[in-house]
Parts: sequence; C-alpha cells; structure tokens
Amino acid sequence: MSVTDPQPPAPGSADAAQEALHDRIAADSLTTRRDYLRIVATVSGGLAVGGVAVASGVLHRHGDGEGPPEPRRIADRIAPGESLAFRYPGAEDRAIAVRMDDGTLAGYSAVCTHLACAVLWRRDRGGEGELYCPCHEGVFDARTGAVTAGPPPRALPKVLLQEREDGSVWAIGTARSGEDAREALCRQQGGDTALCRNASAPAEGSDRP
Amino acid sequence: MTAPRFPRDPRAPRPPAYTPGSAEPRLNRPVRERYPQLRPTSGYGDPRTRHTGPGPGAGTEQEPERSSKLSARLALALTVVAGQLWGLTVVVDEWMAGDTGTAWWGAGFLVLSFLVVLGLWALDPDDR
Ligand code: FES
Repeated sequence: MSVTDPQPPAPGSADAAQEALHDRIAADSLTTRRDYLRIVATVSGGLAVGGVAVASGVLHRHGDGEGPPEPRRIADRIAPGESLAFRYPGAEDRAIAVRMDDGTLAGYSAVCTHLACAVLWRRDRGGEGELYCPCHEGVFDARTGAVTAGPPPRALPKVLLQEREDGSVWAIGTARSGEDAREALCRQQGGDTALCRNASAPAEGSDRP
Repeated sequence: MTAPRFPRDPRAPRPPAYTPGSAEPRLNRPVRERYPQLRPTSGYGDPRTRHTGPGPGAGTEQEPERSSKLSARLALALTVVAGQLWGLTVVVDEWMAGDTGTAWWGAGFLVLSFLVVLGLWALDPDDR
C-alpha cells in the first residue's frame, strides 16, 4: 500500500483533533528565529545584571574587608627556595610567601586570577622558579606576580611582606593586581603615614628593609 | 450606475454558486490526509502558516522583507551580545584591579546594550 492511497479516516472527536493540532505545532521547528531573538534578549539582560552586580561588588577581592589589615607575624624564618602558605588578612584569603634563591621575599594571593585554583611555588620551573597554577598551566613571575604564561587575565594580587631584624616575616598589607605597593599601603592606612606623605620614601613594601 | 452594456439574457442558465474546493469529496480532505507523506514540519501542516497556495507563489515566502528583517535583527542582537560578553570581562578585570569607577562605566555600557537588544526585539513583537 502506497502512502498516497486513501487512508481510513481517523476516528476523531474534537478533542483528538485538538490534540493532533497541538502535536503538529509542537513538532514544528522547535525554536524559530523569533524565539532566538527572545532568548538573545534574555541573555543580554542577564549580562547587564551581571555587570551591575560585579560593579557593585559581588566578587571578593583579596584583602577586602573591614578596615586596614593588621600586621601579622606569619613565620619565624623562611629559608631561600622555600614557600609558605598562610591566610592574610582574612581567614578566607589564601596567600603564599616565597623566598627566592637570591633572597628576594615576595608574597601573593594564592588564588589564581583565572578560575581561582590554588597557585603553587615551583622552584624547579623556569630560570629561578615560578608560581604555577596546575589547573590550566597558568604561570606567574615570582618577582612581580605578573602573568608569564597561560590563561590568567591579571597579575596576582600582592601580599606585602616585611622581614624584621630577627628574621621573622610579617604581612603588613595587600595590593591589588597591578597596584603599586606604596599606593596600596596608603590606600589601606588612610594616607597619613610617613610613607605616603614622603613621596621619596622607599616604595617596595615586599623588599627587605 | 449605468446598465450593463450587454444585458444578460434572463433565460440563460445561471452559473453555479461558487464553493471552494472540489466537487469530489475525496479531494476535499485535509492536506495531511491527502498527502500523508508530508511531515508535520513541512509547513502546510501548521495552520499558522499564512498565505500559501493555491495561487502564484504558493508555498514560498510571501513577505521576503519580513524574513530578512527578522534575520537582520537577530544578527544585530547577537553582535551586541558578543560585545556584552567582552564588556563583562572588562568590568570584572577593572573591578578586580580596584578600578571601581571604570567598572561602573562598563556596567552602564552593558545596560545600554541590553536596551538596544530590547529595542530590536520590541520593533515587531508580533513577527514570527
Ligand atoms: S585557574 Fe589557574 S590557570 Fe586556570
């Protein structure tokens, strides 16, 4: 029997006809360009809402919190080539301190700026060791925190470290991605410290005094 | 109104009253019964389809401008959304770097873009 042969009429009530109609419409091309336009408008609205939310501060920045961070002793000593994981200034602000082989002491947020994995100190990588994010092979310069490879979009926020006479290491503040250490200190301490008033004061908070 | 030039002969047989369809009931069944091989998505099965046959241009797009305008609106909206995705990365970057003012400008850009897309959508909401 060919498909063009007359078919027996379907036993139909008004209900069945209604259902068949609904079936046909539902089976019809499921998403029309009109629907796409509506979906695109919805997505666009979501992006706008997201932008406003970000600008008004839903994302946590390292070191954001009440008041200026208190200086805190994080270690008695950090030997060359070693690193130390700690939390500063808040209990949620994961940070890492690194002493490079030449004695340079540097502190950074340990949260990758890409997708927030933990950043590790890898002494064996690069010429003099580097900060490495295993999630997507992001690499940060251990001296500056700048991105040297991989997908992270921003430099690591700094944690400003200070080494005292007795060799103990103190965290004294934080700096955002790409922010100058002195600017960051002045922002956090309210700009009335000697460091901020005297523009020629030594700028590197992360260097040994 | 003047009388017709060639008055109709009153005794002439009247033409039959016009009825759409065929005298043969077999041909008056719904399209889907007459052509079961037409799939539900072929177009004719959808009663919302306007202005298809019979007649010249049956089954083709009757308002090509409408269709291309809709495509153009969709393309523009997608372009704007691509710009918004870029803008959102900029907003996040600026916020994270501590530049809240620039982040707010970016948020304004995102909202304006949304209004543009909304306008594109509202140009003709009854379109299909
Ligand atoms: S999360 Fe660090 S590179 Fe992706």
